[in-house]
Amino acid sequence: MSTLLEVQGISVTFDGFRAINNLSFEIGLPELRAIIGPNGAGKTTFMDIVTGKTRPDTGTVRWGDMGHSLLALSEAQIAQEGIGRKFQRPTVFEDQTVRDNLQVALKKPRGPLAAIFDKTSSPERARIAEIAEEIGLPDDLNTLAGILSHGQKQWLEIGMLLAQDPKLLLVDEPAAGMTNEEREHTTALLKRLAESHAVVVVEHDMEFVRRLDCRVTVLHEGSVLAEGSLGHVMADERVVEVYLGR
Amino acid sequence: MSVFSQNRSVPIFIGILILFALGVTVMSEAYGTGSISTSFTKVLGMTLCLCLAALAMDLVWGYCGILSLGHFAFFGLGGYGFGMWLMTARTEAVVRANLAEGVIPATEAEISDATALQIFSVVGAEDWPWMWAASDNLFLTLVLIVAVPGVLALVFGWFAFRSRVTGVYLSILTQAMTLALSLYLFQNDTGLRGNNGLSGLQNIPGAAEIGQDRISIWFFWASAVALGLTYIGAAWLISGKFGNIIRGIRENEQRVRFLGYRVEAYKLFIFTLTGMLCGVAGALYYPQAGIINPDEIAPIASIYLAVWVAIGGRGRLYGAVIGAAVVSLLSTYFTGGRAPDIDLGMFVIDWVDWWPVLLGVGFVLVTLFAPKGLGGLVDYIIRKPSREDRQ
Repeated sequence: MSTLLEVQGISVTFDGFRAINNLSFEIGLPELRAIIGPNGAGKTTFMDIVTGKTRPDTGTVRWGDMGHSLLALSEAQIAQEGIGRKFQRPTVFEDQTVRDNLQVALKKPRGPLAAIFDKTSSPERARIAEIAEEIGLPDDLNTLAGILSHGQKQWLEIGMLLAQDPKLLLVDEPAAGMTNEEREHTTALLKRLAESHAVVVVEHDMEFVRRLDCRVTVLHEGSVLAEGSLGHVMADERVVEVYLGR
Repeated sequence: MSVFSQNRSVPIFIGILILFALGVTVMSEAYGTGSISTSFTKVLGMTLCLCLAALAMDLVWGYCGILSLGHFAFFGLGGYGFGMWLMTARTEAVVRANLAEGVIPATEAEISDATALQIFSVVGAEDWPWMWAASDNLFLTLVLIVAVPGVLALVFGWFAFRSRVTGVYLSILTQAMTLALSLYLFQNDTGLRGNNGLSGLQNIPGAAEIGQDRISIWFFWASAVALGLTYIGAAWLISGKFGNIIRGIRENEQRVRFLGYRVEAYKLFIFTLTGMLCGVAGALYYPQAGIINPDEIAPIASIYLAVWVAIGGRGRLYGAVIGAAVVSLLSTYFTGGRAPDIDLGMFVIDWVDWWPVLLGVGFVLVTLFAPKGLGGLVDYIIRKPSREDRQ
């Protein structure tokens, strides 16, 4: 396992509020990691920094074997480097079909001219069908994404992440709004992905994290409070305190 | 062709456009019964040019979500570009004819000087301004008609999109752009004859013996061909992956960024492309109008362009065309003194003054009760083809 992403001592302040405070984090390839923490612990801001939406005041974010910095890159460049993100609230293109959503996400050249003269090859068509099967929407390829249920939109967004074929997947609350059965499917999918990818899952639901059965990082007030197996971190008194407010 | 199968409006639109153009020709003074006057033929040809500009506006606003309120500036630049060539060539022909009567034949330099004096004496100048350098070269002029609006759109868009200016701030910025350009051109010493503008553009050089009745039909057809080709091109552009991406930008540009697309590049592409299309539309419009002055690119003109697209129905190509055609023709009718005034006894509704009120009320009503615009009515007439039908 080699280090894919290395975040070193980052801090970011919004209007005097320290959202991230000297945070360091490392994930290898392949690896599955869960990030937990109470509201306001900095989970989403952390993802914003890694994906280039927010620039940290201090610290470094290094990527890949060469360890080059991501801080100078735009969101689009970072995505092209191989970092995919699934949002907490499912964000799919609602007035486009499931097929179009997957097609836009599919890993291909991203320039305007490439898009204008784009031809969908049959392997790509097959890949889209395969992803649709995986996310349980094989019969909905021509359905507008806007009329899917909340859970189906979650799946579609996961499908778009698969189509993007990133090295690192940042997944924000994938299980929200899903039935128990769907949760099991999600867990299995994430675990399988983690065999060849780096997967970071942000989740509130302890039961879901338990099922993932992976290394857990606990964030609190913008920095890492504890790290290790779920059993290990839950045995930590400070974690119990911030989580249960005792 | 997949463009036609994926956009059912394309064959229908092209069919209607051809029938319309043939109908006008058959009823024209030059080639037919004469039931449509030459001046009305020009109005119809100009309307087609406005439809072309509205199509561009629909691409940039209706599909990509960039509410540009400055696209008429590009329209005006296209008009000025072609107008310079028309005016130079026409004036030079007149000057040459006059000087030929002299005993000693005039040199080329003398003809050039006399032409410049003829054109610029109205603003108290007698030399060719630098921006007229290409005005004696038709080929270069045709290139510049597209290139000048394109470069302005590219430079403006590059600064605006790079700084991630969006929404109402971008709209205000584009208004400022067209206002600045208009005010600049209003000055006498900028080289484009100040508030006099360029005139006599209906006179085509080398076609002095050909009457306006025939020229009006030629420009009408040129406008129809430009509109038809643009319609097909636009339908092709939006039917593929590029169309999905720009609609994605309209819906949630941050999401498109996280998929790895450089949103700024796409916005710049569509902004520049539509700027150039507006330049072509303007170049075809003003020879039919006969005159262009800086008032044409006042901020209100670009707002009208957005109003047409909103009334017609943005996000559908035929909506933009319907909106521009209906509203601009109604505007011609009500402000041309043809509409009968309504006498309410103590109060007379004079349509020349009341047309903007009617337009404003119409705009509010469409926004409130038919947010999809006039084009949305088509959904009621025919069942909107679902994606299953198209694929």
